[in-house]
Amino acid sequence: MSTGPIKPSREHRLLGVAPDWADTCLTCGTCAGGCPVTGVDGLDVRKAVRMAVLGLDQELIDSRFPWVCTLCARCENACPMGIKLTKLLRKARGLRERAKVPDPIHRGVVMNLERGNNLGIPKDDFLFLLGDLAKEMEDDGFPGFYVPVDKKGANMLVTINSKEPFGEPDDMKFWWKIFYAAKEDWTTTSTEWEGVNWGLFSGDDESMKTQVGRIVKHLEELECKTLLLPE
Amino acid sequence: MVSIFDVMMSYIKEGRIKVDNTKHTHLTTYHDPCNYGRKSQNTFGQAYFEEPRWVTQQCCPNFVEMYPDRMNNYCCGAGGGAWAMPYKKERIWYGRFKAQQIKDTGAKLVVAPCHNCRDQLMKSLVKEYDLGVEIMYLWELVSESLIVEPWSDEEVAAGHAERDAQYERDGVVVDEEEEEE
Repeated sequence: MSTGPIKPSREHRLLGVAPDWADTCLTCGTCAGGCPVTGVDGLDVRKAVRMAVLGLDQELIDSRFPWVCTLCARCENACPMGIKLTKLLRKARGLRERAKVPDPIHRGVVMNLERGNNLGIPKDDFLFLLGDLAKEMEDDGFPGFYVPVDKKGANMLVTINSKEPFGEPDDMKFWWKIFYAAKEDWTTTSTEWEGVNWGLFSGDDESMKTQVGRIVKHLEELECKTLLLPE
Repeated sequence: MVSIFDVMMSYIKEGRIKVDNTKHTHLTTYHDPCNYGRKSQNTFGQAYFEEPRWVTQQCCPNFVEMYPDRMNNYCCGAGGGAWAMPYKKERIWYGRFKAQQIKDTGAKLVVAPCHNCRDQLMKSLVKEYDLGVEIMYLWELVSESLIVEPWSDEEVAAGHAERDAQYERDGVVVDEEEEEE
């Protein structure tokens, strides 16, 4: 990390924290004291606030700290002065050059925008997988079960976490068995079914919005009353 | 939009599903994910703390809390995308607080209603900190506790008809060879 002179001028204020944060933050350290990653790379959340106040915005953006922080908001909950610590750290993530976002978060966002899910699973592979798994479930004590896809008028639209069809397909059956027992009128979609929104983590509000927009579009087109996003 | 907790609670309360509370009798604890608790409270003004505990206890009557919990709970260490990111050493080190919390409960089963948390607990912390506990999604616990009544012949036939129409529309062919032989 650079230890150069402090740069409080406007042009260095990439994170745009209000100047009065310098006084609002009492530097009490309650935030850092209760944080499990305090000390990584010599940083902690209290120091992150000081960096933003002192114009070391670029140094904070370039550091690993906003990424080893899990944005859990325990610090924010404890802060006696109500400083929006999680917002600051997420903003630092968003200001990182996209090519330098720790893998595979941004790559997943791009994949999702281009192919409809974070892992680029093609539509046909997805539909055949659902068919095979449904067959297994039928043979396993759930006669009549299948996975409704693009079912217009279904009560409940359900998104899917791409890690499951990709690597842990049997785990999808947990919810399916519950739906079977409850006789839920549900559906998922053949494309753009991803429930994991990595724009949340990469600080990319635009991409996040695009993905949410897709789900809303599905809800409207399929006329589903309810959305279940099991993340 | 409904939460997974609302759905599971209403299924149980309305009698749409039945769960067997004699399958998981070990001491069980519940992990509060940041996103369903603290961050949901901060963002939407509503946290899900009691609902998942109620669902868990429908399946696992022998229940113990971690300390601290709810608004002051410790993150599993893999939140914010950390599970996928390359800072593995830091992620495991972060998890030492959660690992200690789990050890202190003496529980044999930890229920986590979040993909990230479950992966961190099951695939990292159990091994790294030698916890000797089983980790389950909340919906996995409910699913494994289900008392399933197979559908009636009419319901099965209706399901098959809908399925066949859908597969026809989507060009899906499921291999039936084993049955034909």
